[in-house]
Amino acid sequence: MKHDPYALTELIRSDEFIEWVMRPDASNEKRWQTFLENNPDKKQTVEAAREYVILLAKDTGRDQPTKKQSDRMWNAVESRMHEAENESLAIEEPAKGRMISGWRWMRVAASAALILSIGSVSYWFYYKQSVSGKAPNLAAMQDLKTDKIIQRHNDSDKPMMILLTDGSSVVLQPGGRLSYSEAVNAKRREVALTGKAFFEIVKNKEKPFLVYSYGLATKVLGTSFMIDASEANKDIRVEVKTGTVSVFSINNLDKKEIEEESDKQELTGITLSQDQRIAFSKESGKITKLSAQVLETGDMDILRQEFVFDETPVHEVFRKMEIAYNVQISYDKVQMGNCTLNATLIGQPFKEKLEAICNALDAEYEINDNLVSIVGKGCK
Amino acid sequence: MINFDVLAGEKTDQQLWQRIREGDEQAFTIIFERYHRTLYNYGSKLTSNSAIVEDAVQDVFIDVWRLRNNLTDNVTSVKFYLYRALRRRIHLAQDKFPVTEEIAFLTENETPANPANSETILIDVESASRRAKQIQNLLSQLPQRQVEALTLRYFDDFSVEEIAGIMGVSEKSVRNFIYKALTSLRHNRQILIISSLIFCLLGVF
Repeated sequence: MKHDPYALTELIRSDEFIEWVMRPDASNEKRWQTFLENNPDKKQTVEAAREYVILLAKDTGRDQPTKKQSDRMWNAVESRMHEAENESLAIEEPAKGRMISGWRWMRVAASAALILSIGSVSYWFYYKQSVSGKAPNLAAMQDLKTDKIIQRHNDSDKPMMILLTDGSSVVLQPGGRLSYSEAVNAKRREVALTGKAFFEIVKNKEKPFLVYSYGLATKVLGTSFMIDASEANKDIRVEVKTGTVSVFSINNLDKKEIEEESDKQELTGITLSQDQRIAFSKESGKITKLSAQVLETGDMDILRQEFVFDETPVHEVFRKMEIAYNVQISYDKVQMGNCTLNATLIGQPFKEKLEAICNALDAEYEINDNLVSIVGKGCK
Repeated sequence: MINFDVLAGEKTDQQLWQRIREGDEQAFTIIFERYHRTLYNYGSKLTSNSAIVEDAVQDVFIDVWRLRNNLTDNVTSVKFYLYRALRRRIHLAQDKFPVTEEIAFLTENETPANPANSETILIDVESASRRAKQIQNLLSQLPQRQVEALTLRYFDDFSVEEIAGIMGVSEKSVRNFIYKALTSLRHNRQILIISSLIFCLLGVF
């Protein structure tokens, strides 16, 4: 067998490759996409290698302690800490009895200390960020480094809803893959997409939201849109449902230029507004505006879905939400099912929609994965 | 204002380390919170006796606090320091209780003393995580040092150089561990794919 640096096993253990999978950013994303464009036959290998790296990271990290074990360890450490303070430094024998006697108190003190310290550190962190720009940036980068990149892969045959920490929601179609970091980045929100997804993004002018897919960057400040970056298609399509979106090719930009473009607080380049669409050629990097919408039947339920309710019974509203986001909503059908709702909920992220509905119903909601429970007294 | 500036810098490991040397309990708490879980995870790859792992993690932190006055000034990576210390601790403990070596072989059928495991399995019933679970089973069949190297590389995100330092072997050996593990994983996966195919077919009829 000849040595191929891009063979499966070689990729899985390549430092650069791991870096790209675990911490995709504009520059390594571009490098590997260029590689893929030049070596289309490597696509499957790259996908398989990526899956391995993610599985390996996930599986080797499965032995973390339970909350109880964490508490136990901290209690033991804490008790020994103060013991060392009161007496001399040379104590070796464990003090089990002491640990138990002061256990309850320690527990409370420990949690308080933890909460306080975490709270104050994050406060200072944010405080710093708003005051000056230099030092905290470093800290933010470090944070990004230690935080795990989250990879979501929809290998079911139904859409998958993903809630991002900023409250935005993404409906990922079967076969799609979305990776993002839960770290709080000072400047922008970034995700990488392959496959097809519908985005509903919370407005935040200070932090642009960027989607990278095969050399195309889609940038928004808060809006809803669909991206189809399926592996099989030559083109990537972007279609805007509400608000404005800008797209640019990152193939010809270097890292600094990409960052500049990403951080601008306005939308430059090619901008799209409501119902406009573009196609981006993966091969040539050309962006073409597409003419008026051609309705494709059965396409992207959620994109075509109208969330306009006029005296609509709640059970119908929930049914619509369930289908569009592929979630299960549980509520008291007898009490709430026949209440009616007037609302226009276009382009809002899933959570905002829920909030609006619950506000109108004077109810509360709770989300657990794709299970939503709504509790309320019903309408008057 | 001055106070803010000083404390804002606490974010990085190095600065926390410096503050621990000065006796700052809060800094110590943050370091504990930041690393005790991944350390425990790593320790679990070295022995399947969770009591030993817990003790070792505790001891590493207790040592850091007790010996804070003598801690090295220029620690390039606090994380690296903690992992290496944990590994030593566990090896010391294992010398004291050599019985654990035998327990390590039991893990295949039942993973004792690891509630975190069964929890995750219960939550994820989707096919993706079932596949992950299967690969995890394969992981449990690999020699311990290979699993150790994989964990440090993929989960803990250490460089090969750092892993060599932690495990006390050459970089070449680290690359070797990883390479061997990957090739046997691949080999096993082919069997896995075939067997799951058969399973699916059985399900259809």
